[in-house]
Amino acid sequence: MFPGASTPREDADYVIVGAPLDATTSFQPGARFGPGRVRTFAETFDDYDVRTDRQFSDLSVHDHGDVRAWNDVPDYVDHLSGVVRDVVWDDAIPLLLGGEHTVSAAGVRATEPELFVSIDAHLDLREEYDGDEWSHACVTRHALETAEEAIVVGARTGSEAEWERAAEADVTVVPPEDVGPWLQAVVGGARDPFSNKRVYLSVDVDGADPAFAPGTGTMEPFGLTSREMRGVVRAAAPHCIGFDAVEVNDRDDGQAAALGGKLLREFVYTHAHATD
Amino acid sequence: MVTRQKQVRDLQEGGYVMMDEAACKITHYSTAKPGKHGSAKARVEGKGVFDGKKRSFSQPVDAKIRVPIIERKQGQVINVESASVAQVMDLDTYETITISTPDDADLSAEDDIEFLELEGQRKIIS
Repeated sequence: MFPGASTPREDADYVIVGAPLDATTSFQPGARFGPGRVRTFAETFDDYDVRTDRQFSDLSVHDHGDVRAWNDVPDYVDHLSGVVRDVVWDDAIPLLLGGEHTVSAAGVRATEPELFVSIDAHLDLREEYDGDEWSHACVTRHALETAEEAIVVGARTGSEAEWERAAEADVTVVPPEDVGPWLQAVVGGARDPFSNKRVYLSVDVDGADPAFAPGTGTMEPFGLTSREMRGVVRAAAPHCIGFDAVEVNDRDDGQAAALGGKLLREFVYTHAHATD
Repeated sequence: MVTRQKQVRDLQEGGYVMMDEAACKITHYSTAKPGKHGSAKARVEGKGVFDGKKRSFSQPVDAKIRVPIIERKQGQVINVESASVAQVMDLDTYETITISTPDDADLSAEDDIEFLELEGQRKIIS
């Protein structure tokens, strides 16, 4: 169980669902261990958050456990989206723990957001990768089957075709070097990408520079700092109807898992504080 | 309530099943594959036939579940009382019943209709 996520399901405002899918990982495998690692490395976090003056264990979070994954990815995404839909029907916010990024497609299907915000090193706008349209490299494209638009924060790499797709009006890319000024504009009110929209926030931990989170499937240098990622989570959380932290694997000393778990808690503190 | 037993694995989308004591039409059915030591679990989503409420459950595929026996009947509209209520003659029993009409129904007297019936609950389907 995620530390502090001890509220019974029927009383929960937030429900954590582990989705240990590790079927299409193209480089370093281990995303199947992500949910467990995140739970483990969240054990040392203090329950109290001074900024919002809240105890995490008072925020009505339930841990559903993992939805065991299998290799038929579209079948798994279909089933997982049903499990997440139950959370939505219970008027709770789903918090998915990946697993490879593909699981975000299930969160998006279940919550039906207008805007998909993804912190990610990669555009994930491919139509297929290695002949697989359900590869983790295609998830933003799948999200856009439901959401009207996408913002990819921290993207710094993609194929030529993906960059062409990203140039269309329904996709906004915020490269790592622009994240600071972009966040300042959002927080200061000069830019308003989230309000009056139903937002789904996905945190691919490889959006961070590998120095911060080496335990991920496809590391990409020149990434975000963990504080910049926290800033994006804080800015988006009040508008969100769903959240996930994905692509954590077991190939580091827990840095990626600690970051994923901390951002999940940051999301809950901020969302609860803003919507109280 | 008139029901019969089925195994969860025999349910399918478009069929009926009892959820929380309400007859529901199955809108989504998916199965989680079993692990090495687990048993397959099905997740079933449905919509109440008479109340329109969405419901769902997860059960092992070999669990027993009750399925309502819903009668599909013919009727003829006698009188349209209002935008939401009509009097209909059951063409099996010639009994006159009052029945609420769907939002999109455009009914007039003497129209032939079909309706679902389960223990006094009725719903026009065409």
